Amino acid sequence: MVGVGPALGALRLVREGLRQGLDAPEALIRGAAVLPRDTRRAVERAARRLDGDYREDEWGFDEEFADLVLPFLDFLYDRWWRVRTLGAGNVPGHGRALMVANHAGILPWDATMISMGLLREHPLPRYPRFLVLDWAFSLPWVSVAIRKVGGVAASPFNALRLLESDQLVAVFPEGVKGTGKPFRERYRLQRFGRGGFVELALRTGSSIVPVAVVGSEEIYPKLGESSPLARAIGAPFFPLTPLFPWLGPAGVVPLPSRWLIEFCEPIPTAHHGPDAADDRSLVLELSEQVRDTIQAKLLENVVRRGPAFA
Amino acid sequence: MTGRRVLITGVGSFFGGELARRLERDDEVEHIVGLDTRRPGARLKRTELIHADIRDPKIAGLIAPTRVDTVVHNQIVRQPGPGMSPRTMHDINVIGSLQLLAACEKVDSIRTFVVRGSAGIYGAEPHAPQFFTEDMARLFPLRTRFQRDVGEIENYFETFARRHPGVTCTMLRYQPAIGAGVDTQISRYLTMPVVPTHLGFDPRLQVVHASDAVDALAVAVRNPVRGPVNVAGPGTIGVTRMVRLAGRTTLPLVGPFFGPVTSAAKRVGLPVLSEDFGRLLRHGRAVDIRRLEEEVGFSPRFTTEMALEDWVQAPARAAA
Repeated sequence: MVGVGPALGALRLVREGLRQGLDAPEALIRGAAVLPRDTRRAVERAARRLDGDYREDEWGFDEEFADLVLPFLDFLYDRWWRVRTLGAGNVPGHGRALMVANHAGILPWDATMISMGLLREHPLPRYPRFLVLDWAFSLPWVSVAIRKVGGVAASPFNALRLLESDQLVAVFPEGVKGTGKPFRERYRLQRFGRGGFVELALRTGSSIVPVAVVGSEEIYPKLGESSPLARAIGAPFFPLTPLFPWLGPAGVVPLPSRWLIEFCEPIPTAHHGPDAADDRSLVLELSEQVRDTIQAKLLENVVRRGPAFA
Repeated sequence: MTGRRVLITGVGSFFGGELARRLERDDEVEHIVGLDTRRPGARLKRTELIHADIRDPKIAGLIAPTRVDTVVHNQIVRQPGPGMSPRTMHDINVIGSLQLLAACEKVDSIRTFVVRGSAGIYGAEPHAPQFFTEDMARLFPLRTRFQRDVGEIENYFETFARRHPGVTCTMLRYQPAIGAGVDTQISRYLTMPVVPTHLGFDPRLQVVHASDAVDALAVAVRNPVRGPVNVAGPGTIGVTRMVRLAGRTTLPLVGPFFGPVTSAAKRVGLPVLSEDFGRLLRHGRAVDIRRLEEEVGFSPRFTTEMALEDWVQAPARAAA
């Protein structure tokens, strides 16, 4: 951490720089000169970003931003949730693939931890793109943060385009039914929509990787919900947890449960051909197969993980 | 075979004038007719100018004798300029298109119609697909007046195309254009003293370089396809990054204040942000341009990012 001395020195330099008519980013870079090296790098990077000197891909994914928040996610992964990741090698290292996971925990923390698990455990790490409930994209700040770390609005068009450009995509077919289910139904998978994700996989010949996430169910134990409040803010539901909304913003802090993420054997779909996407019976059969795989793994891993808060 | 005969509406605008200039250099184009009430800014050599208002039913009598085979409808107003009311803009867009089509009903030499339309028809929505393809025009209700105008214009042209199977109607759906010295919504926005944004939002925008915008028209005249085609520079750019690259300061405003503050800015002589543009700044929009590249055969030279950088560097280039 930066001591008080260098920090004050840096501030003084920034102020002088500004007085000499430098613009804000330049003054910041000059001020950072007296800081320790790591901090200096961070300040310089932040200053360059103020000049618009950063990259975003056509989806708005900002790898530098994702790297910037990495230490925070590292903390959540190692200390807060003490995540263990198994079977990361089951995710293809390159080319298109569709990860299908169970969804819980109101905010998409499970998506970030799946990404972290891959970045940490996979021999060829890459950032997956995940499909996020549309509603999140009408929220200030949340929408920006989500797209910058690789989230896109949950629309089959988006998923199709991502897979066609050989990305690794994560979907949560339970959707709002998964995040909004009460605590007593934890680790019981909800209906998998109409199997839209299987259609996408078949149409693009992507293999499906089922992912079982244990631990996300306990971070926001939903005890009840309030429909008038949900209607008032236009949200799909308004959760009542032991902390939220009673503690205000602090109620958003997730509980530190212990997590276990497992990537299961991939299910290839390419041999069916793209036209199989219109075969209802095959789509439902595969959808059920994926659902059963995840459900079985969840029950197995809940036991394996042991008590949630030990 | 004799050369092409092309009519351009709105030839007094930057895009109309530049297109005329480009076609003048093309040997396959035998004759060019420009229709407008304004004088073209570009210096034109062999373009026949017709001074008429597109809303005037009398244009029927003026168009018929030109025996054109191609009509480029370029007079669709995206933002009311100084001294133009939203009402006039609506009249030019909707009544103008209607009168033009009515005038063309009786000209049987016409084989091709190219319209410089707008991607505004897709709207700007938080839940939208991140890249609109041409078949997604009416996924969402048309919310603003301009969107409804564009929807109306597209309806007219679809009906016209159905009634005249021999005429190829290309509806080019343009993203906002940007280019050195061209007055567009984006350039007006980025030259404001402080640039208003929606607090907590940083949507992806997509623009097309002005020269690519003109080239796309010229290529579509040569190689028209039926139906809508998106026109944009590949890639997207976040609003915040765009404003920072332009070297401006943002003024983040909370949702409900955005409208009142930007319309108050109008009274002190600042450019007006249309309702459409306000929505665009909140939710953004990008389109898929595969149809433009593969079927029309035109690939923009500038990506969205390059178009913006080119515009930012233009003053320095001019000074050097």
